[in-house]
Amino acid sequence: MNCKDALPLIHEYLDGDLPSAHAVKLQQHLRECTDCASRFRLYEKTEALVRVMDRPETPSNLTASIMSSLPPVSRKRVWTRWVRQHPAIVAAAAFIIVMMSSLLSLWNSGTQLVVRGDDLEGNIIIEGQRVIVPSDSSIDGDLIVENGTVQVDGHVRGNVTVIDGNVAMASTAHVSGNIKQVDQALDWIWFKMNEWFRAALN
Amino acid sequence: MEMHSIETRLARLAKAGDRAAFEDLVELYKDRIYHLGYRMLGNRQEAEDIVQETFLRVFRSIDRYDPSMKFSTWIYRIGTNLSIDRLRKRRAKIYSLDAEIGNDSEGSDGYGMLASDDPTPEGQAILSETQQRIREAIDSLPPKYKPVVVLKYLHDMSLQEIGEVLDMPVTTVKTRVHRGRDFLRKKLERDEIL
Repeated sequence: MNCKDALPLIHEYLDGDLPSAHAVKLQQHLRECTDCASRFRLYEKTEALVRVMDRPETPSNLTASIMSSLPPVSRKRVWTRWVRQHPAIVAAAAFIIVMMSSLLSLWNSGTQLVVRGDDLEGNIIIEGQRVIVPSDSSIDGDLIVENGTVQVDGHVRGNVTVIDGNVAMASTAHVSGNIKQVDQALDWIWFKMNEWFRAALN
Repeated sequence: MEMHSIETRLARLAKAGDRAAFEDLVELYKDRIYHLGYRMLGNRQEAEDIVQETFLRVFRSIDRYDPSMKFSTWIYRIGTNLSIDRLRKRRAKIYSLDAEIGNDSEGSDGYGMLASDDPTPEGQAILSETQQRIREAIDSLPPKYKPVVVLKYLHDMSLQEIGEVLDMPVTTVKTRVHRGRDFLRKKLERDEIL
C-alpha cells in the first residue's frame, strides 16, 4: 500500500466505516510510514479537540420569547378546525339548511290556488282566488286553501286552514273545528312538517 | 425510538393547534437548535435569531410535516438551511465590500471577521488559547463543509442522518466530512495547536 491509497482509508477508518480486512492493511502501512502515521494522529487529535468544544448556555427566557413570537391562532383556523372535528354536527346543519331552503322555495313559488278537503264535491264554489262555502252546503270534514280567500257562509264540520290568504265568515257560518290562518314562512313550515308527520304515521 | 414516538405525538398535537404541545417541542429542541446556530454562525445574537426563525418556520409549516420523517431530522433541516442562508448572505456582503474597496482578501475566508462581534464568547467563561483557536477554525470552515462538521462532531449525528438532514447522498456527506476534517487539521496545524 502506498500513501495515496492510505489517505482515503484513514478517513474511512475515522468515519467508522472501514472493513476490518482493510483496517489490517492500513495498520500495517501506518507502522511502516511515519508520514501517514503522523497524519493519522493529527486527524484523531483534530476530531478529539472539536468534539470537546463546550456547549453555549441557552438564554434562560428563550422558550417564552419563542412562544410569544408565534402568530396568534387565526379565527379562520379555529373555525375550520372545529368543522373538521365535528363532522356529524356539520352534516346535520347542512341537511337542515338544504331542507329549509327547499321548503322556502316551495313556499315562495306557490301562488296558485290550491283547495283540499275531505268532502268538497258540490259543496264549494270557486271564483278566481276565492273559495266560497255557500250557506246551503255542509262540508263533512276539513277545508284547506292555499293562496286564496275563503268565504264561509255554510257549515264546515272540520278545521278550516288558510295558507297565505284570509277567512271571511258570514253570520250564518258554522265551523266545528279550528280556523287557522298561516302566512308566515315558519308557521307554514311547521304546518307542512306536521302534515308530513301525520302522513308518515298513516 | 421512544423519544421518536413522543415527538411524533407532540407534532401531531401541535398540528391540531395544541400550543402546549408546541411548547413541549420548543423545550425539547431549543438547546440543540441554539447550539447549531451558534456553531454555524459563531455568535449568540445570530444563534438566537436562528432558534426564533426555526420555530416560527416549524409553527407555520407544521401542517405539512410528514410523520414518516423523524421530527428531529425535519427541525434540523430547517435550522441548518436557515443558517446556511445566513452564511451565504454574509459571504455575498463581504464580496461586495471587497469589490468596493478593491481589496482582494486572499488567504482569509473573510466572513470570520463579521462573526467575531461576540464580546464575551461562551458566556463569562474565559477561553483558553487552544479553545479560542478551535472556535476560530470552525468559524472559518467554508459553508460547504461547515454543516457536516457541526452535525457530525457537535451533534453526534451519523453520516446517514446528516444525509437526511441536508437532503444529499451519504457519499457526498462523506466527501465533505473528509475535506472538512482536512481543512481543520491544516488550520490547527498552522496555528500550532496540533
